[in-house]
Amino acid sequence: MASALTLQQLNRRVAQTLATPALQNVWVVAELSDLRVNHGHCYMELIEKDPDTGAVNARMRAAIWANMFARINAEFYAATNQRLESGLKVMVCGSVNFHSAFGMSFIISAINPAFTMGEAERRRREILQRLQREGVLDLNRSLEWTDTPNRIAVISAPGAAGYGDFIHQLFTNSQRLRFSIRLFPAMMQGANTVPSVIAALDAIAAESHLWDGVVIIRGGGATSELAAFDDYNLAANVAQFPLPVIVGIGHERDVTVLDYVANMRVKTPTAAAEWLIARGTAALDYLRRTCAEILQCATDRIASSHTQLAYMQSTLDVAPQAAITRAQHHLQQATLTLAASRTGRIAPELTRLNATIQAIGTAAHNATTRAAERLSSRHSLLKALSPEATLSRGYSITTYQGRAVTDPAALPAGAELTTTVAHGSFTSTLTDTKA
Amino acid sequence: METNQPKFTPVAELSYNQAVAELDAILRNMQSDACDIDALTAYTRRATELLRECRARLTATDQELRTILADLEK
Repeated sequence: MASALTLQQLNRRVAQTLATPALQNVWVVAELSDLRVNHGHCYMELIEKDPDTGAVNARMRAAIWANMFARINAEFYAATNQRLESGLKVMVCGSVNFHSAFGMSFIISAINPAFTMGEAERRRREILQRLQREGVLDLNRSLEWTDTPNRIAVISAPGAAGYGDFIHQLFTNSQRLRFSIRLFPAMMQGANTVPSVIAALDAIAAESHLWDGVVIIRGGGATSELAAFDDYNLAANVAQFPLPVIVGIGHERDVTVLDYVANMRVKTPTAAAEWLIARGTAALDYLRRTCAEILQCATDRIASSHTQLAYMQSTLDVAPQAAITRAQHHLQQATLTLAASRTGRIAPELTRLNATIQAIGTAAHNATTRAAERLSSRHSLLKALSPEATLSRGYSITTYQGRAVTDPAALPAGAELTTTVAHGSFTSTLTDTKA
Repeated sequence: METNQPKFTPVAELSYNQAVAELDAILRNMQSDACDIDALTAYTRRATELLRECRARLTATDQELRTILADLEK
C-alpha cells in the first residue's frame, strides 16, 4: 500500500511551497468585493473583472488584520477621503499565506491611496471627455437662473440630515424670503443611486414649468459612496437637464463628475440654501436700491423746486417796488428831457421871435414914415389944386340953391345967389341977365 | 381801468410746471422796462397767488411721496 500524506502534511507542503519571495510583499492591483469588518479584522475578496464582459476572471480571499487595519484604514481615508468598500479599485501590498484550516489568503500590509485617487480621477476624466465629445458638457452650466429662484425641486433622500439642514436654512432666512419646495425622493447611496436620481430628474422634467431650478443634495454618510455619482448616465442627464441644477452632494474635498456638469456646485446642502437666499437677497437689494433712487430723485426734485420758489419769492418781494422806482426814475428822466428840450429849442425860438417883433416894429415905423411922407407931398399938391387956392387968387364961386352957377340963363329973375370968395361969402339978388 | 387789467387762468387749472413758468414770466416782466405800472398790483397779486399754490402743491407732493415710499419700505 502506497504511503499517503495526511491532509495536514499536504497543506504544510503547500504552505512551504508558497513561502517563496515571489509571493511575499508583492503589489497587486484589484477590485474590492464582499468587504466586511469583524472583530477589528477586515475580510474581503480581491477580484478582477473582464473590462468588456464584466465577468470575474480572477479572485482571491484577502484580509487585513486588526493590528494593521486601523492604521491602514485611517491613512487611506485621510488621503482619499474614501472608505474602503466593495467596488473600489485598489493597489495593495501583501503576502500570500496558506493556513492549514482556512486555506489561502492574501494578507494585506499596505494600500497605495494614490492609485485609487488616480483611478477615480481617470474615470471622471473619461466621462467628462465623452460628454464633451457629445457636445452636452456645458449645457446645464450655461443655463441662466431667474433673478429670484424660489420654486425649487429638491432631490434628496427623505429624512437625510442634509435635506433637513437645507430646509431649515431656507425657511429661517433673515430676509424672510419665501420659497416653494417639493422633495423628489431618491436613493442617495447604494447601487440604486443612479436610477433613482435619474427617475427623480425625469419626474421634475415632466413639470419643469413649475420649477426655477433643481437642487441635488446629500449630507452625511460615507464619502466613499460618492463614487456612485461618477456615472456617465447620471452626468449626461444632469448636463442636459432643462433647468439649472445645483449639486451639493459632497464635502469640502470631494469632487464628482456632477460637480463639473451641474450649473452650480456647492459644498454642502446648507451652502445650496445660502446660495438661493443670496440670490433672493440680491434681488431684494436691487429693489431697495431702486426704491432709494426713486426717493432720492423725488427728494432732489422737490428740494430744487423749493429753492426755485424761494428765489422767486425773494424776487417778488422787491420786484414791484423796483418797478415803481424805475417808473419814477423814468418820469424824472422825462421831465429833465423836457427841460432840456426847452433850453435847447424853445429859447432860440423865443430869441428869434423877439428879433422878429423888433423887425416888425422897425418895418412898421418905416412904412408909416414913408406913408406920411407920401401923404404930405400929396397934401401940398392937393392944396395947390384946391378951390381955396383959386379963390385966394381972386376968383369966386356963385351958387344957387347949393349948386354952382355955370349958366345965367338957367336962373330965374330975383333968384337969391350966394357968392363965396377967399375970405368969406355974400348974397345977392339977380336983376339982369346977360348971355 | 378795471377792463384794462390782465386776465388770468385760475391757478387750480394750471399744472405745477405751468404755474412756475407763469411765475417766472411775471417776475421777468416786472424786472424789465416793459413792466406796465397799471398792471403791477394785479401781477404782484397773481405772482403771490402762484407762489403760494406752487409751494402748497410741493409740500403736498412731498408728503404723499413720503407716504408712498414708507409703504414701499415695509
